Amino acid sequence: MLGKELWETLNVRLAAILDGKDDEGRWETDDKGVTYGWFRLTAQKDILPVAKVVAGLGGRVMAITAAQAGHGLTQGVEIAYHFAIGVINCTFSTVLTDPQREAVSITPILRSADWHEREMQELYDVKVLDHPNPRRLFIDAGQQMADNLLVPLSTAMDDSCTTRLWERIMQAQAGSGEEKK
Amino acid sequence: MSTYQIPLGPVHAVLEEPIYFQLTVAEDKVTGVEIFAGYVHRGIEFLAMQRNIYQNITLTERVCSLCSNNHPFTYCMAVEKIAGITIPPRAAYLRIIADESKRIASHLFNTGMLAHLAGAEDLFRQVMEIREVMQDLKEAVYGNRMNLSANCVGGVRYDLSAEQIKFMRESLNKIKKPVEEVTWCYRTEAAFRARTEGIGILPPAVAAACGVVGPVARGSGLAYDVRVDNPYAAYGELTVNAVVEQHGDVAARAMVRLQEIMASVDLLEQALSRLPDGPVCLPYMPEIPAGQTMAKSEAPRGELVYYLRTDGTDIPQRLKWRVPTYQNWEALPVMLANSKVADVPLIISSIDPCVSCTDR
Repeated sequence: MLGKELWETLNVRLAAILDGKDDEGRWETDDKGVTYGWFRLTAQKDILPVAKVVAGLGGRVMAITAAQAGHGLTQGVEIAYHFAIGVINCTFSTVLTDPQREAVSITPILRSADWHEREMQELYDVKVLDHPNPRRLFIDAGQQMADNLLVPLSTAMDDSCTTRLWERIMQAQAGSGEEKK
Repeated sequence: MSTYQIPLGPVHAVLEEPIYFQLTVAEDKVTGVEIFAGYVHRGIEFLAMQRNIYQNITLTERVCSLCSNNHPFTYCMAVEKIAGITIPPRAAYLRIIADESKRIASHLFNTGMLAHLAGAEDLFRQVMEIREVMQDLKEAVYGNRMNLSANCVGGVRYDLSAEQIKFMRESLNKIKKPVEEVTWCYRTEAAFRARTEGIGILPPAVAAACGVVGPVARGSGLAYDVRVDNPYAAYGELTVNAVVEQHGDVAARAMVRLQEIMASVDLLEQALSRLPDGPVCLPYMPEIPAGQTMAKSEAPRGELVYYLRTDGTDIPQRLKWRVPTYQNWEALPVMLANSKVADVPLIISSIDPCVSCTDR
């Protein structure tokens, strides 16, 4: 589908979901002719039908931005889902006001959301529900260091660690030398 | 059949940066992989929200060294969009010139590393020698081989004299024939082809589902290039030869990058010959109003996305970026499935991963 045709199809399908609930929703075109849409969802679960529309048109997740309340933001955590459908870009924002910070996962619909949702879970304490692979994304010292299989770079490059290593080698050498004596 | 696990990383000779792969292996075939990132997580997005809008130009350039120019470039575009600034035409061209110079050096680095991992050391040395021409070019024009410090809000921080333009043209002429020669080697050398063709295949449908970008997507037949599909700066005024390969293997991704080097040379020559006269930046530091926006660029590894929200103060309310590698990791387990353990470093290198970018 060409840009204009795609945009018209997307608009029709989104209108059925938003159903006049987003008065501030708008499309804008920059000075290079690139289209960006900005929409707001009243409930986070409304992202599911949006994700289905995006998937149905062969779109993908570009990024998901979580923003902590504060700095003049509304209460809770704000999540902005950034999608790309062909040459069209659009963002759907929603606020989690519930202290539980629960958000339904769109990864089962759009695989490209996988890492973004896991990162949001880890860095913004959002509980992503129904994620197919909710494993931690970044290292977890408590969980993964237990078997000594992994050594974080900071530890591997730590001077004290290196000193300890060489101290043990030097002690072993000194010990073997003493035995020879 | 019994399976066992092989730890690869986080610090390993075949990895340029620290990341950990937990490979599940049956005989000599990979049956599963888990990726653990975060070893160089620096919290740069958080830092960006403690600094003012102008300080963040310096900060974002330090997210990564290989695609360092794209970060401040895209960040500045986002700031300019919120402020409603149109940069001078000469600045738009100068931004492209800086960016394409970095792209050539980055692609040469990756294709060189690929040759090294495939055991083609002569080819590796040859490619890195060509890259030195671009490193010298950057050092001569920008004063630095990696971080160019070319961008500022409202334009660029450098200009090109007639003498520097002549030097750039000579440098580009110097690399054309050698790049064609090494491309021929990658395409025809039996030993290299045996290590890269049919290896690490990413089918187009999976590539689209994972949302991969850059040479990884274009190596699997997905013709998406931000410079063409969402043009920015002066790309809309130039002819961008988007390169697409169909096989989706390690060789295809290498061929995309090698051909993109020549496409970048062509873009640089176009930009240098059409470079408009005029100022290179605004004569003032603009105030940035409240607003939110997105900006995108085509970094060497693919689409780079910046999201910026401001509240009228000089501290960003939220600055988020998604680097191309972040999206491409998702496809790596597909490429590694059923591959030989010996091919794992080659397949990882073929997505040209940037761990510094991923971790931020």
